[in-house]
Amino acid sequence: MLKAIRARNQQRAWQKQYDSLAPKVGDVAQDFELYDANGKNSIRLSDFKGKKPVALIFGSYT
Amino acid sequence: MSLHDLYEQYNDKVQFILIYLREAHPIDGWWLGGGIVGLVLRLRRSKAAKDLYDPKTMEERRKVAARCESELKYEIPTLVDDIDDSVNRAYAAMPTRLYLIGTDGRVAYAGGLGPFGFKPQELKVAVEILLSADVSATDLARQSVGL
Repeated sequence: MLKAIRARNQQRAWQKQYDSLAPKVGDVAQDFELYDANGKNSIRLSDFKGKKPVALIFGSYT
Repeated sequence: MSLHDLYEQYNDKVQFILIYLREAHPIDGWWLGGGIVGLVLRLRRSKAAKDLYDPKTMEERRKVAARCESELKYEIPTLVDDIDDSVNRAYAAMPTRLYLIGTDGRVAYAGGLGPFGFKPQELKVAVEILLSADVSATDLARQSVGL
């Protein structure tokens, strides 16, 4: 229980710290290159510049 | 409005990318699988996994991402954040967050912090404005769109 509370507090502190640095509307979105779950195919955010808007959906499985 | 509905409606005009992050509620962290919360989640038939430890290596992270992709069947292309969480940190994305990036490479919509700021309906409005007006994200930022 204490472990969960500590983890929750850490997560909230993390959000507060990094949200101030995250891009806002109108800012240039930081480019990245990531691989799929097979680790074989990569995609860069900038691949779509001038072509299509990109919807980024961040999440996990728990 | 679910993300899947949004994807079905706009995936020909918008590139949807799901980015798998470190686990938000692993057994070795802020676990929600036990007690009253766990019971409520089970009763609500939540699809979230309750039996995962936070992956410690890239290989482990990819395995969990593959399981998530396979079991949830959301069809949206999935990428896996690196083990240093660099994209997660750059976008303050954990545990869940939504963004829309315009063709000019600028942020057209930045959703609120998850989980409470995770609002697919807001993303839908931003997509519709961006597509209908063919405006750049910079133009969108100048408009008051009530998001």
